[in-house]
Amino acid sequence: MPPKASPPIATSEVRFRSLFDNTPELILYQNEKAIILDANPAFLALVAEPRGRVVDHCYDDFLPPEVHALFRQKLEEAFAGKTVRFDMFAAQGKSAPRHWDVVKIPLWENGAVVGVHMIARDITEKMLAQQEIVTQNQDLQQFTYIVSHNLRAPLATALGLVDLLGTEEPDSPYFEETRTHLQASLHQLDLVLRDMNTILAIRDQKNLAEAEAVPLAEVVQQVVQNLQEVVAQCGGTVRVAIPADLSLRANRAYLYSIFFNLLSNALKYRADERPLEVSVTATGGEGKETRITVADNGSGFDQQQAGDDVFRLYKRFHPHRPGRGLGLYLTKTHVESMGGHISVHSRVAEGTRFIIVVPY
Amino acid sequence: MDTLIIDDNPTGIFLTTRLLRRDGQPADVITSFVSPVEAVAFFRQQGPTDALPHVVLLDLNMPLLSGWDVLDALQPLEAHLLGRCVFYVLTSSLAPADQARARQYPLVAGVLHKPLDGMTIQAIQARVLETLPS
Repeated sequence: MPPKASPPIATSEVRFRSLFDNTPELILYQNEKAIILDANPAFLALVAEPRGRVVDHCYDDFLPPEVHALFRQKLEEAFAGKTVRFDMFAAQGKSAPRHWDVVKIPLWENGAVVGVHMIARDITEKMLAQQEIVTQNQDLQQFTYIVSHNLRAPLATALGLVDLLGTEEPDSPYFEETRTHLQASLHQLDLVLRDMNTILAIRDQKNLAEAEAVPLAEVVQQVVQNLQEVVAQCGGTVRVAIPADLSLRANRAYLYSIFFNLLSNALKYRADERPLEVSVTATGGEGKETRITVADNGSGFDQQQAGDDVFRLYKRFHPHRPGRGLGLYLTKTHVESMGGHISVHSRVAEGTRFIIVVPY
Repeated sequence: MDTLIIDDNPTGIFLTTRLLRRDGQPADVITSFVSPVEAVAFFRQQGPTDALPHVVLLDLNMPLLSGWDVLDALQPLEAHLLGRCVFYVLTSSLAPADQARARQYPLVAGVLHKPLDGMTIQAIQARVLETLPS
């Protein structure tokens, strides 16, 4: 049996018309004066103008002044017979500014360039993803640096202490003290490695975290209850004002950790001169962003001195109180894993206020 | 060689003190500050005739004031301290950038990596004998 005949190939005109009409890329055909002689539906849709207000108009009318010169130059190069390609970030017509990968291709007829086709591809998503990767790489670099430093510190101490053990008299009190310090250093080393595990586990699940609608008031009450004894012991009060129906799409364990860390900090860094007062308030819901405030009247810290370091890993601001500088770093990581943002305002001897904003 | 240790970690102070005791002279006076803020205050309160330590071993990574912040805070006293007191940065960090940064401070004679060992202590002693009037 003869093979089935393949269906006939559509005519060039039909094929290219289909491409022109249906591609998501912008296609323009221009003359030497940058007048648009033809524009495809993708371009008309972007600038939100009917065909009649685009064709026979200058392309400059649709571009911000700062890229006019660039476009003129590239058009000239194309009319000189070169296919040119360039990136730009600009608005077109009334559209929002976007990243464009632009190609201008000369159309030849009888040995002369008679017009230039432009194809512009929207590469905004790709550019944003790239920027995100760069930022993440910088974060990782910073993270590695901090980890290596914080591993080396207890390790160097342990090395020195072992050196000492070799020369201290085995029965002397110094020998025993050195041994105790050695144990503490190794314990510290182990803690740093455990911290890394905790942090990596959160980062791993950043996008996988089981998000559910978690009632905010319920989680906060749970945290307050678990810290109640400590609060009572120091004569403090915690006031919670959160609408009962306000919930947040989040991982419940992360949300718990956020409030546990913030309230533990308020307790740890309370002012000795006055009883601790903490208020936890939240607004939002029904299509609006959720705004959570945790404010205390504690010892506060010098915000100018602390700068952006407050949320950094292993950064500490209260030399006379215990702490590893992990809590706020974890809190920030948790908030960001929900797509939210955390900020802080603090005044020495007045108190500290944390604000968490989670977009709807 | 009288030495002042500025280190926020008490274990670090214990270790450095014991190493200096082991490899130094019996008459050496060794003092320390866990708080960099108090260390700066100490230098500011020093009168012109008060006894300064020969050597200051300064940790870098400390809460509130880093070792660099301490050096910045001491800048107004530089003329007074130069030739009377030799500073060494003593850090567990191995970052090469520390060396370059330390060179910007005339007070700082060098960067030492923790832990101190006998040879380094002897080298510091030799340098102190050389540069400081006894």
